Amino acid sequence: MDKSEIRAVLSVYRPGDPETEDPRLQQAKAAAAADPELAQWWAEHQEFDRIISSKLQSGEVPAGLRSRLSAWEKRTVQRSNWNRGFLLAAASIIALAVLFGSWRGPFQPAPSLAEYRDELVSFVKLDPPLELRSSEIVRLTEFLQKNGAPSQLDIPRGLRRLDPAGCRTLRFRGQDVALICFKREDGELVHLFAVKRGALPRLGQKRETPEFAAQGDWMTAAWGGGDYAYLVAGKGDRASLEKYFGTS
Amino acid sequence: MVHVADVEFERLVEDFYMPLYRFGLSLSRKESEAADLTQHTFLTWAVKGHQLRDPAKVKTWLFTTLYREFLAEKRRAAHFVETEEETEFVEPPHFSPSVANAIDANIVQKALLNLEDRYRAPVTLFYMQQHSYREIAEILEIPLGTVMSRISRGKAEMRRSLDDLTTIEARKIVSLTNEGQNG
Repeated sequence: MDKSEIRAVLSVYRPGDPETEDPRLQQAKAAAAADPELAQWWAEHQEFDRIISSKLQSGEVPAGLRSRLSAWEKRTVQRSNWNRGFLLAAASIIALAVLFGSWRGPFQPAPSLAEYRDELVSFVKLDPPLELRSSEIVRLTEFLQKNGAPSQLDIPRGLRRLDPAGCRTLRFRGQDVALICFKREDGELVHLFAVKRGALPRLGQKRETPEFAAQGDWMTAAWGGGDYAYLVAGKGDRASLEKYFGTS
Repeated sequence: MVHVADVEFERLVEDFYMPLYRFGLSLSRKESEAADLTQHTFLTWAVKGHQLRDPAKVKTWLFTTLYREFLAEKRRAAHFVETEEETEFVEPPHFSPSVANAIDANIVQKALLNLEDRYRAPVTLFYMQQHSYREIAEILEIPLGTVMSRISRGKAEMRRSLDDLTTIEARKIVSLTNEGQNG
């Protein structure tokens, strides 16, 4: 093996992995041990891998994901008391439910507004990665429509006066959620979520006026309009959101 | 004997939801899809996990399930079928660790996502440092030699991509500095 081949072989060597103990890798390792230049190259290569690994593992995971999974944990604890035959039958039903898009989780009642609010607010507490950045609301709604998310939105007049920052789609218990972020006057973002009303049956068919609720130092407002359930979330107190609804 | 079904679900979620999400993100390149893939993986575990007899295989099972779901969902299996067996390793271009250390994590993530599909999945699993080569081969259902070759080529490609991205970033900084000085 020449030095280039040795470097190529060493590039896949992983200390402790049984698959990298084969003769070719051992030969390359021995060559590196006998050649200071190769030894230096290999040390740097391993250091590079360690750095890249560490940076990739520091990547952000959406805050709402853990809480979404927690909802299942609580229910699956009961599973050990169920017989396996029943689970197999349930699996078939679940598979069909997933296929037809109506899945809401194992033995899981329709989510409450509080669950929806908690999960989505936790998602945007750190500025969310946007799939489309644009200040043109038409472009954003076109994008949402193209991606199967709610798009015929009735946006409160106060929000429409703000410049949009962008949008993205999310999934909540099998339902597509549209998210549009607007730039507030103070530089922070205010977030508008929309999901089909069927996803939140407990919101109530008649709730057309916003229901305000605080979550930590964030304020939210939820209401139903047409086919959709809306949620607006932003950092601040109730007054900081009310102004978008023309109630203050 | 400890049965796999007795493995505490909560602990599984705690241990694996982040690496599964990151693997899902590297495959789909979309956060929302990565979250759905992770969710689906645990859903499948809740329903079928009891079928697994060997508790030591839980980790591989979860990653395989996510990968299969990704392929099924995207109907992109054909993109992953190789007509030619790859077994050769390539020498990666030199990249100084001190430069790597200074690179923003988002740029590293971008370089990973820039990789071709066939390299991205094995390179992601490699850098997670949770799987042996044999486990990566099991998860991706490709031969061991192909896994090692793709990791070798993928790592080399990633270095080239990182080099390009850091050059672009450096130009932006120089340009902004010049603008600042001129303005």
